[in-house]
Amino acid sequence: MLLNIPLTQYLFYFLSFVALLCGLMVVFSKNPVHSVLYLVLTFFAIAGHYILLNAQFLAIVHIVVYAGAIMVLFLFVIMLLNLNHDSEPHKNMLLKGAAVLAGGLLLMVLTGSLKGAETLAMHQPLNTQVGLIKNLGTVLFKDFLFPFEISSILLLGAMVGAVMIGKKEIK
Amino acid sequence: MKGLFIVSGLGILAMLAEIFKFKKLVYPLVLIGLIAAYAVNFTEWNFDWSQGNPYPLFANMIRFDNPALAFSGVILAVAFFWFIFANDYFKNETNITDHFALVLFTLTGALMLTAYQNMVTLFLGIEIMSIPLYVLAASRKNDMSSNEAGFKYLIMGSFATGFLLFGIALVYGATGTFDISLISAKIAAAHGALPIFCYAGILLMLVAMCFKVSAAPFHFWAPDVYQGSPTVITAFMSTIVKTAAFAAFMRLFLFGFGPAHDKWATGLSVIIALSLVISNITAAAQTSVKRMLAYSSISHAAFMLMAILANNGDMSVPPILYYTFAYSIGSITAFAILYAISKSEGHDGFDAFNGLGKRNPLIAACMVIAMLSLAGIPITAGFFAKYYIFTTLMATTYKWLLILAVLTSAVGVYYYFKVIIAMYFKSSAKSEAVAFDSTTTALVVITSLLTLAIGFVPNFIIDMLR
Repeated sequence: MLLNIPLTQYLFYFLSFVALLCGLMVVFSKNPVHSVLYLVLTFFAIAGHYILLNAQFLAIVHIVVYAGAIMVLFLFVIMLLNLNHDSEPHKNMLLKGAAVLAGGLLLMVLTGSLKGAETLAMHQPLNTQVGLIKNLGTVLFKDFLFPFEISSILLLGAMVGAVMIGKKEIK
Repeated sequence: MKGLFIVSGLGILAMLAEIFKFKKLVYPLVLIGLIAAYAVNFTEWNFDWSQGNPYPLFANMIRFDNPALAFSGVILAVAFFWFIFANDYFKNETNITDHFALVLFTLTGALMLTAYQNMVTLFLGIEIMSIPLYVLAASRKNDMSSNEAGFKYLIMGSFATGFLLFGIALVYGATGTFDISLISAKIAAAHGALPIFCYAGILLMLVAMCFKVSAAPFHFWAPDVYQGSPTVITAFMSTIVKTAAFAAFMRLFLFGFGPAHDKWATGLSVIIALSLVISNITAAAQTSVKRMLAYSSISHAAFMLMAILANNGDMSVPPILYYTFAYSIGSITAFAILYAISKSEGHDGFDAFNGLGKRNPLIAACMVIAMLSLAGIPITAGFFAKYYIFTTLMATTYKWLLILAVLTSAVGVYYYFKVIIAMYFKSSAKSEAVAFDSTTTALVVITSLLTLAIGFVPNFIIDMLR
């Protein structure tokens, strides 16, 4: 009976398992460097999901930008800050309890709200070509032209801000 | 739309001023640019959108219809006043061009938030508005509390953005579109039969938007950020950014999620009640005027949320417009005076205002008008702002909120009057007048007169959108 399931489904479960496990490990590991490495693994698992959805471009960008560039930056920052020793102040039990309660409630609401989601998937028209570069480019430069162009202001703003914080005060 | 182009172009121009050495020209250029943007903004007034989109390339991503243009007008006008008041602060700053560029990029985001038609533009607008703000909050690099403000704002703001994105994803999953008018149509057509996670998504977005407008219980960042940031930046955050956040909130929940009103109304009413009680009681206990104004901004947020809660479609828009304008110019007056006073006295406590009625009678009178307007005392704009909100809410089943709002407003009168009492009934050791330069004096007089003027003819603004 297990053989009836297509291979992609096995892959889906495997990748989901890896993503969830590594995601949890990011939070649970004591050593921040380990956290970052687990985060890299999570990103790879998610990139795998993108490939399963036939979105190769997104998968490659995800690996290059997130797992590659940003995570390396993360590692550098952590090494420069030398966070290896346990420097985090301990929170009191009341705060921890409140956090667990709030997080647990949110989890309950979100999982509860997924009820009825499985039937929805059947109604959506399936377009397997949607993730290809050609279609992505068409959508980006036709429907999403305005957000695409205005993102430059966002990046510019972030850059000017970083320079302003970073540079010396000169009178 | 053209106003948005002008403001973003101005931001880039301000950035280039450092390289091409026209630093001195930036300030007049920005003022002229803002007037131009304001004028151009209203040339698009009353455009007939049934005739087709004048910007077909931007395929329903952004739509400057009348409500959007009205809110853009408020933002640009208040920004003009703000730049006049901030001049003194920028004169002493080293990185003036960077500051100007960041403020103008924030304005770009704010204008986008008044007019977005799509979840993507909503998200980008919020980010364009927030990211330069995080930096501006931390712009006093040697001041510990400014650093703390920037850091806190960044962490909490990013966390809220996470909620917003998760909400957008869930709503998209259920409706299959990012367009808010299509989402509205889908929700209305489904008659509550959409998958439950759609409503979970709406609630997540509600949380994120409440964070952005700093409504309780998502307000914890606001007092610290408002107090830690430089006073001019605090004034910017509590007027322009707040107006934009409300325009966005209103557009999303009235025009987007309006048909699902029964799903989010109860939650929102609890948020409003909490905001009213927590903000007013904590504000009454403050000793710093700046922190008091921060808490009072939470209570003003609660009032504006009431008009959204009423969910009257287009009828809910004019009260919010009027309220944002009245509140913004009242706050600009108060912050401009507070800035000059705390500069000369060295602190921003209530006793810094002692004896101001004798020392600077004109400034003290302007401060009285601003405080009366913020407290909602008749003949000032603030009274009519509250009045229109109350009449909107009267038609709904949330009358209990009205009683709570009136009771907590009474507490509000107490802490606004603390400033007035300090100015007129307490004496100060110093008797010489606090130095106000002529532009600040002119500005506070003009904004005070404006507060009185729109209090006399409130219909002028209210009827704009009818």
